[in-house]
Amino acid sequence: MMMREPAWRVFASEFNASTLEFKGEGEKAPSYVITPLGAMINRLFIVGILTDMQNLGTDQDPYWRATVSDGTDRFYVYAGKYAPEASAALAKIEPPSFVAVIGKSRTYSSDEGKFYVSVRAEKVLTVDEHIKDNWLLETVRATLRRIDAMEEAMQMETPTVEGLVNLGFPAPLADGVVRAAEHYQDPDVNRFRGTVLEALEQLLPDRGFDLPLPRDMPTGPEEIDDEEIDDGEKEEVILKLIEKLDVNKKGASLPDLIKEAAKLGILEDELEEINNSLLDKGLIYEPTINRMKRI
Amino acid sequence: MMNKEELAPHVKEIARVLEGRAKEQDIERDLDNYLNVYRMSLEASRRHIVRKYGGDPNALTKGDRKTLANLGLNEGSVDVLGRVMSSTTREITVSGQPKTIQSGVLADEAGATIGFTVWDLTKADLKPDTNYLIRYAYTREWNGQPELHLGNRVVVEERPQEEVVVPEGISVPSSGGRSAPQTVKVSGLRDNMNNVTITGRILSMKSREVDTPSGKKTMFSGIMGDETGRVEFTAWEDFKLREGEVITVSNGYVKGWKGIPRLSFGERAEVNRPKMDFPSAEQLSGEVMRTIEDIERNGGAFDVTTQGTIVDIKKGTGLIFRCPECHRVVLKGVCQIHGKVQQVPDLRIRVIVDDGFAAMTAVMKKEVSEELTGITLKEALDEARESMDTEAIAQRFEERLLAKPLVLRGTVMSDDYGLSMTVTEARFATVDVKSEAEALLSKIEVI
Repeated sequence: MMMREPAWRVFASEFNASTLEFKGEGEKAPSYVITPLGAMINRLFIVGILTDMQNLGTDQDPYWRATVSDGTDRFYVYAGKYAPEASAALAKIEPPSFVAVIGKSRTYSSDEGKFYVSVRAEKVLTVDEHIKDNWLLETVRATLRRIDAMEEAMQMETPTVEGLVNLGFPAPLADGVVRAAEHYQDPDVNRFRGTVLEALEQLLPDRGFDLPLPRDMPTGPEEIDDEEIDDGEKEEVILKLIEKLDVNKKGASLPDLIKEAAKLGILEDELEEINNSLLDKGLIYEPTINRMKRI
Repeated sequence: MMNKEELAPHVKEIARVLEGRAKEQDIERDLDNYLNVYRMSLEASRRHIVRKYGGDPNALTKGDRKTLANLGLNEGSVDVLGRVMSSTTREITVSGQPKTIQSGVLADEAGATIGFTVWDLTKADLKPDTNYLIRYAYTREWNGQPELHLGNRVVVEERPQEEVVVPEGISVPSSGGRSAPQTVKVSGLRDNMNNVTITGRILSMKSREVDTPSGKKTMFSGIMGDETGRVEFTAWEDFKLREGEVITVSNGYVKGWKGIPRLSFGERAEVNRPKMDFPSAEQLSGEVMRTIEDIERNGGAFDVTTQGTIVDIKKGTGLIFRCPECHRVVLKGVCQIHGKVQQVPDLRIRVIVDDGFAAMTAVMKKEVSEELTGITLKEALDEARESMDTEAIAQRFEERLLAKPLVLRGTVMSDDYGLSMTVTEARFATVDVKSEAEALLSKIEVI
């Protein structure tokens, strides 16, 4: 059967904490991001606030990158010429606004083995607060179900898909949970209980909450000490980097730039700000999509 | 391309005709070569190989030699090779005359089993623990499974013990292929279930005459329900069923139609009228909520309600035009069957509904589409005339539907592309976010 991949409901904090990808066999086999709670995501449905949007491409050939915040963390959403509908829809949206995005999970690993996840949009649209609230509720429910499944799996000597299905969990979730239990080795389930409470807090703003404390710091992207180089210096550093990476005179490729900047402790987010600033100042330009060149 | 398993019965058949003149692995290699490299027909390949080793090609069986696992429900003429695991004879009455028939279970080397019936003991008398090559047999469906019938055309040949070695430990079902009785609710019915016991109220029923080989027969079909859902049933005997009564069916079986489970019960079944409290017909006609994944597990469901979010709008949504003859969708006024026709406008919505764990296609006809979107066919036509664009309405449907949570009622079937619901009722879900959030919170705080 050519089953359609379900659109998983997952909070950004769980999605972004993923460090496992699974690719099925065969040319057309789908690939999945497996989160610490075992969501096996090929497609996902997210709702949040579009906080920031940027065209990494050109006016004729836009390539959008948007950040969508769900209150627990941010999703990075991309739309380019392969999703003209989503790309056109995104272009019309003015941040900040509530948006719904249906898209496919994407991954990127840096040379250092760092793992990044993002969303390639299939559909983007603005929604009202009611849709956002409903999404929060659904995602709370889905997350609790995964917590449940993961805790069951952790109690089994060797977790099996069959064992979890017999407990009433759907097969795709059972599959993801077994893979996650092996890869993440005793995932911090309570951390995601905290995420659930954060989400419920958004729905019940008048209520007091006792947040359970995570066992340790998030396992996602590490904090980088920003204090080392100040902003002006950073721009200088990035300018030099762009020059250095511009080996074929067509401009430095953005993925390379992201990689090299990360080595210097400048994360993708910040790099984007620096690039914007440099673009504004007219020190660099984008000859083609995803390439930066010094003027 | 035939694989090794598919080749196996033919290799055996050629070896039988050659009577030891060639090794099986040589025959297999030759057959594979003829079929898969030179692309010759199966029949020609078999004859060539027999001739090559000096055998008589006319001794080959003409019927279709199959493994038991490959037998269809309605084979006209098949040849099988197997071992009789059990066999018994009994008297029956056919057209007023007593007749002795034989039934039992046959197994093959792959460990597959099938029930068989011998209708003419002068043609075949099958003894247990003996191997037979059975030619010109046929199959008929019984409780969703094929059963092998040996009629008056059958030719049976006893074969040596070593020719069929049945794997040890295979379970031989009692003759008739029935499994242990199981008591189920409507939502637990799945295709191919055997020997089910189920209690429900008959919500509607009608009878109809059908022609069978043994004359005219009345069959009864209708809808039966319990608190977990409704199911269509067919009774092949007159159990004096009445609309509205509560019955317990024992030894019924399930046959799916496009994945939708349907309950059948016939002469081997028993119908009882239990004295018990049971929900009223009215209570049983309301919405029965089930998740998409739950429906998926059963392959489909009759008249069920589910909830999910619209995550995609498919082609064919919006203003469409149909052929007045066959109701097929026409393109530019041309029907693929009836040519140029006076096309009839219609509204339709095809969407993907997804609850985060499973997804299905939902198809809404005009009345449901109008009610849900508030856009009538007339408005859609006016708009299309004005904008000279029949696609525009699809865009408006998308704006109204995408990312919205929906409650849908209808019958769900499945095919190669997954589940698909023919929607009879649709509405936007209204969720009391605050109280549901409170409920979820109290669940977590308990932990």
